[in-house]
Amino acid sequence: MPAADVVVVGGGIVGCAVVQHLARALPDARIVLLDRGAIAGATSGSCMGHLMVTPDDAQHYALSATSVGMWRALADEAGGFDYNPTGALYLADSADDLALLPQLQQQFAQHGDAAAVLDARQLRELEPGLAHDLPGALFYRGDGVVLPMPACSAMLRLAQRANARVLVQPFTTVTAIERAGDRVAGVVTAGGRVAARHVVVAGGVWTPELAATAGVPRLPIVPRAGNLAITAHHASPIRTQLLEIAYLRVAHGAAQADPLQTAVDGGAHAVNMQPQSLGGCLIGSTRQFRGMDRTLNRELLHRSLLRAARYAPGLLQLPIVRTWVGLRPYSLDKLPLIGPWPHVDGLWIASGHEGLGVTLAPVTGHLIAQQIARRECAVDPTPYLPARCA
Amino acid sequence: MSGGSGDGGAGPGAVTFAFAGRSVTARAGTTIAMALWEHGTQVLRHSSRDGAPRGVLCNMGVCYECLVRIDGALVRACTTVVRGGMVVEPGGRP
Amino acid sequence: MTATIDADVGIIGAGPGGMAAALELARAGLAVVVLDEGLGAGGQIFRQLPPGHRARVPAPEPPSHAHGHRLLADLAASAVRVEARATVWDAAPGRLWFEQDGASRLLRCREIVLAPGAYDRCIPFPGWTLPGVITAGAAQVMVRGFGVRPGMRALVAGSGPLLLPTVTALLAARVRVVAALEAAPRRAMLAALPGVLRSGERLREAFYYARQLLRAGVRLRWGHTVFAVAGDGRVQRATIGRVDGDGRPLRATARELEVDVVCAGFGLVPSIELAQCLGCDVIWNAVRGGWCVATAAFGRTSRDDVYAVGEIAGIGGAEVALAEGRAAAAAIVGRRRGSAPPPAVERRVRAVRRAADAMLAAFPVLPGLFELADDATIVCRCEDVPRAQLRAAAAMHGATARAIKLGCRAGMGPCQARICGPNLQACNDAAIVRGGGPAFDVPVVQVPLKPVRTATILDAPRG
Repeated sequence: MPAADVVVVGGGIVGCAVVQHLARALPDARIVLLDRGAIAGATSGSCMGHLMVTPDDAQHYALSATSVGMWRALADEAGGFDYNPTGALYLADSADDLALLPQLQQQFAQHGDAAAVLDARQLRELEPGLAHDLPGALFYRGDGVVLPMPACSAMLRLAQRANARVLVQPFTTVTAIERAGDRVAGVVTAGGRVAARHVVVAGGVWTPELAATAGVPRLPIVPRAGNLAITAHHASPIRTQLLEIAYLRVAHGAAQADPLQTAVDGGAHAVNMQPQSLGGCLIGSTRQFRGMDRTLNRELLHRSLLRAARYAPGLLQLPIVRTWVGLRPYSLDKLPLIGPWPHVDGLWIASGHEGLGVTLAPVTGHLIAQQIARRECAVDPTPYLPARCA
Repeated sequence: MSGGSGDGGAGPGAVTFAFAGRSVTARAGTTIAMALWEHGTQVLRHSSRDGAPRGVLCNMGVCYECLVRIDGALVRACTTVVRGGMVVEPGGRP
Repeated sequence: MTATIDADVGIIGAGPGGMAAALELARAGLAVVVLDEGLGAGGQIFRQLPPGHRARVPAPEPPSHAHGHRLLADLAASAVRVEARATVWDAAPGRLWFEQDGASRLLRCREIVLAPGAYDRCIPFPGWTLPGVITAGAAQVMVRGFGVRPGMRALVAGSGPLLLPTVTALLAARVRVVAALEAAPRRAMLAALPGVLRSGERLREAFYYARQLLRAGVRLRWGHTVFAVAGDGRVQRATIGRVDGDGRPLRATARELEVDVVCAGFGLVPSIELAQCLGCDVIWNAVRGGWCVATAAFGRTSRDDVYAVGEIAGIGGAEVALAEGRAAAAAIVGRRRGSAPPPAVERRVRAVRRAADAMLAAFPVLPGLFELADDATIVCRCEDVPRAQLRAAAAMHGATARAIKLGCRAGMGPCQARICGPNLQACNDAAIVRGGGPAFDVPVVQVPLKPVRTATILDAPRG
């Protein structure tokens, strides 16, 4: 294969967003996207498409809100991935949960955003499919839902429109990233070498092993498995996307288990349900550290469905059509790695997003493209620089 | 018009149920799909994407084309035996 | 009714294979429970009218159906317990979870005999989603299983041995068969002959079919197929025509027929999902319908205590299923008693398999038939994905079945890719059909094996 300017390794949502933004920033560059399997064939083909604004601190808020804004723009420009600005309902199930709602509301307010606290009656009006004994909820308008797989194709189509030299090659395994001293030289594939000035590793849970081929000490990203289920079309008990308050603790709080002790984690779950545009409902989510194992954890699935049915009892009568497992790339310090690897010129990392890969893909693409093109970034990239792991 | 001899008048072993608001009489022991087919009704739902009429394809529980709605549940018309008083709605958007 | 049932042997499918195995095992004194998704025993081929129904018009039957009646009578007189309307949705060694009449139940056993049969292979063509287009199997179920007349003027089209029983079932229901179209070239008949001659049973059936068609003035047209179906919300017209030796439509020969039902059957696909869920190895066999459960003698699979019988070990028909059901039973009984099963039983299996293979080899899936569809033709019916979208997905995501699914959602609906799965790669590029080896992706299996209610999953008996 002829030499490239940039090779992006990993054709999931992050890799596709990187290609899309690079194509726009560098319309004459030769950009090659390689994936050992299908585009969106790994985690991006096994996840929920939740666009989640996280208000816990200013930087997280800036990153996620900016990215969700980019999703809106992408939907306007391209479409085809069922973008739906559903908002999100954070459901309280107890007095403790209820007490957290004003705090959550305050977090949004601190960033100049707004969320509404709903009492039991208002909640029933907004979402009649919910159990009648729920004491209240927070409704935040800024969240949304997308379909990740068609979003990948949409991003790549835009990339190819902006830059005629974008090459997308699935089923091409990168076996190593080559160096020439302290610089990246390119990648090695089964079909031969591809020389490149820049290599972006957007390999999800495979990022550490890919980066290691370039001499990068094992990056602190480990797989965190999630079980999902989906109902048939026209079989959703709810209209709005919803999460239970516990989700914030399970997903973004301290990991309840040691990420590196994969034999002992029994797994945790917290409800996150998403109505799809054709009326089915996606039901998640569970979290378990178990290495690369993608076999269904029936026990966790059971707990997850039971909990979902507690909030939306209509689910009990509805048919489940599929279940599957995806592996989130969990960063040990809970921040994604986005930026240059300090000791190898031309090597970039874009990974470690855990459950926010879909949300943060556009801003990740932006940050990588802007830094490669040496331009200004819309948000401060500093907290995410991989240098902190060096 | 396809269908049976159309004489499924109420009698011993007859069952009456509703489909899309219309009354249908069927032989006890038959399935919803076959009762409707005999009644001259082949359209069981409309496709979500383009509204096209859809009905039985495999008649043996494999293809899920014949989904209809009963009491909030989606079931295959070709594997569900008719019961008197059943209220059946087309599959598709409720 | 208890949620959990215990048995020595659990059998999936009450067709000829399952019934034969059940009867032999019961005769040996074992407690047998058979789970079947239908309303009663018989399977697809020996479908019976629901209890209490008399056919409005008595429907003549092919000679082989005598086997069915005998098996059913023996079954009723035996200690075998048949649980009908049972949809199996999860399995583990010695465990079969099923949904039955809204209840969530579990069958616990030691050995499992899988005889779930097969389903019709569908090849998409313009208008195939219209109400009134049904599979060849569906027509037989209608007539034999419910005494319902599929229509007044029928078109039967497809390929393979199933066309004849479909035509005769329609004739028995006094449907006018306007045309009966076999896509394979006429020489396929000669190619199939050795297989037919090898089996006295098949020869008798062949004469029966020939007689019925002759009497009704229906001629099987070789090298012909359905090109398209049209109508206002239902089947009203069909376009038919000739195809070349590869199945490619010769558009200049197209002509229109007035019909009100189209019965399309392009062979059978083995239902291997449950076997895959239990961890059995599968093997590609193009003659036997594609991906089949890999079996050794006596129906043994790669999993201890799991046996595969009949269509799932490769399409072969009732005669094969009967022989393999008996053989698997013999192996189970032998193992429990510490003795070897009689070799004659397995020899019989090999003989009937040879005959079946010889006949089926004459009717390969013709690659040209995948040109019947145009870009607007729906390929995945559950998700309404037209061929153009499927090809775009293949171009962007990759040309494997999985990549296509990811790119356009084909295969993600409630039929769990049973109908469209065998066609995803072929509709993208029919050349894959020509390739000799297993170029088609192995179907990916997941739980639930069939869609079931959330309550069924939550109420599933543990243990």
